[in-house]
Amino acid sequence: MDASKESNSRLMKILVPTKRVPDTDQRIRLQADSSGIEDDNLPYVVNPFDAIAVEEALRIRESSATEVEVVAIGIGTNEYESELRTSLAMGADRAILVECAEPVDPWNVARILGEIANREKPDLVLMGKQAVDDDANQAGQFVAALLDWPQATFASNIEFVEDGVRVSRETDLGTEVVQVNLPAVITTDLRLNEPRYASLPSILKARKKPIERINFAELGIDLEPRLQVLEMELASTGRHCVRVNDVDELLRRLRDEAKLI
Amino acid sequence: MTVQTADVIVIGGGVAGLSTAMQLAMHGASVIVVERERLGNGSTGRAAGLLGQLRGTAEATRMLMDGVEVVKDLEQRADVEIFVQTGSLRIAETEQRAQEIVDLVAMGKDIGFDIDHIDNDEVAEKLPYMRSDDLLDACYCPTDGHLQPAELVSAYIRVGKSHGVRYQPNCPVEGVMIQGGRAIGVKTSNGPIHAPVIVNAAGPWSYLLADLADTVLPTAAVGHVYLTTRPDAAHPVDRLSPAIRDRHFRLYTRPESGGLIVGIYGEETVEYDMAKLPVDFDMSAMKARLDDIHVATLVYNAQQRFPWINERTPMTITTGIMTFTPDGKPFCGKMQDIEGLYHCSGFCGHGIVQSPTIGVIMSDLIRNGKTDYDIAAIEADRYFDVPGFQDRAEIKSRCYKMHAGYYGRVEGKQ
Repeated sequence: MDASKESNSRLMKILVPTKRVPDTDQRIRLQADSSGIEDDNLPYVVNPFDAIAVEEALRIRESSATEVEVVAIGIGTNEYESELRTSLAMGADRAILVECAEPVDPWNVARILGEIANREKPDLVLMGKQAVDDDANQAGQFVAALLDWPQATFASNIEFVEDGVRVSRETDLGTEVVQVNLPAVITTDLRLNEPRYASLPSILKARKKPIERINFAELGIDLEPRLQVLEMELASTGRHCVRVNDVDELLRRLRDEAKLI
Repeated sequence: MTVQTADVIVIGGGVAGLSTAMQLAMHGASVIVVERERLGNGSTGRAAGLLGQLRGTAEATRMLMDGVEVVKDLEQRADVEIFVQTGSLRIAETEQRAQEIVDLVAMGKDIGFDIDHIDNDEVAEKLPYMRSDDLLDACYCPTDGHLQPAELVSAYIRVGKSHGVRYQPNCPVEGVMIQGGRAIGVKTSNGPIHAPVIVNAAGPWSYLLADLADTVLPTAAVGHVYLTTRPDAAHPVDRLSPAIRDRHFRLYTRPESGGLIVGIYGEETVEYDMAKLPVDFDMSAMKARLDDIHVATLVYNAQQRFPWINERTPMTITTGIMTFTPDGKPFCGKMQDIEGLYHCSGFCGHGIVQSPTIGVIMSDLIRNGKTDYDIAAIEADRYFDVPGFQDRAEIKSRCYKMHAGYYGRVEGKQ
């Protein structure tokens, strides 16, 4: 860790909002009326991008000269507890469950997180760039706007420097390096790290770690739904496979038929 | 829809079914393999494929040794490398386990099997990436190794196809047609298929298949997990490093693509109710949670033998479902109650390595009603009418007990 962190002896706090999502490697089914997905027996996990954020927070804590507190946040019903326990088992210090029975869209997620940030006063909000269930990719940016903090999205590398945090972000044109002052919001991309599996002692310890419950109503926010799910539809899964004889044929078909090159 | 017919319908496109189908077709039978998902995508696709030939009995050992010959022939026919002869070690860190090794070596030598004790220096030389200073004994068998599951599957299919086997993936069986006590065919999602012989090679689903035929097969589905480390220059694992069996820590290992596979037969059983899984359940998409206690136990135990492995080690976790039986042996053959229905399932995590010879045995039984092998230990009807083996809950508890003791129990003198 750099020298500036050493001189900074106060506790650093990282909030890691996590979303509970269906395991998208499993086959997803829709409810008969197409209003949502069928979640009988569907396994739920921590959104993989959020797990990357948890991992990064733990790595920051492990390499930091100062004390770092990692706080996992969840918004939802009681069922959320098992996914917050995942973050705690990986090594988060504590967790907050904002109890909310209503489904919340990214704008309201951000408003809730903004309010939690106002209360917790973290140095960093570190979260997945998007959740793999709706792929909205909005909450992180909204949180930064609401708090009026700098943001760095799609982080593939995070480095603490003397006067802030330097973040490499993956864009369609290549890697862009930006620097932000703290406090800031950073959203994590796939290549930032590989989340650890929780160790046996850590899993046992996590069972005793506190999960603070805050009823959504206590936050003094009225939900302002801006998104309404009208209908869901499964993406077409009918793959059409053709065996090609040689590379020339492959190239020709990619060019002439698939029009991909 | 035209009704298909065949001499034999094999239900299940894993190694047990594919090997049986291939052997039958090589002897001129017309065979259809129906598979609910993709061929080789069940337990077969999640297997490590360790081949330890020395088993509890001479006959079980003979079956595995003969299997290697079948595989060598397959390698020629299909032009792939299936058998990787790495050799294998059994290691002991307690007096009881050391006695097991003494007995094992004595039994092996008795039947002319190439096996002997080796000292800790030799162990360290063969396995520089393993902690070996605390071992009380070890034995080494140079002719063991592993079968590469994917290559084995492709060889079975390739040779099967060349002998006319018809494969029908994505074709779940919805019913078994029985008439006057005889199996006459199956109903599938693609229509009925008629045949006088039906082979239940449905692995973890085999007990549900038996249910469809109104009979009982005492198998149960059990979760399993292993890890595969990524190649690490600091701890190179040669592709011909010997496999290791460490019963004390309940581990097995083998090399894989420059990394190491470490699997565990844990004390705690992960139970699966196959009826609750979706019809199109894809075992290859199974994933362990980041806080899975069984993964944590695996990593913890692995670390005792391989101190460089911990929860931060770059690795892949593979979870799957295997099929257990009350006595750890598979069910191969007929039962009294339904003529023409054969079972070939319950390999307790050893299906890959048993499949080459099991295919021969099943083909013998179906074509001739007999086989040269002594199959008393694996006969399908050995629990038929035995009290306590008709009730699902009881069957499950007996199978799970077998699983829990699989690596844990200390074996007496054979």
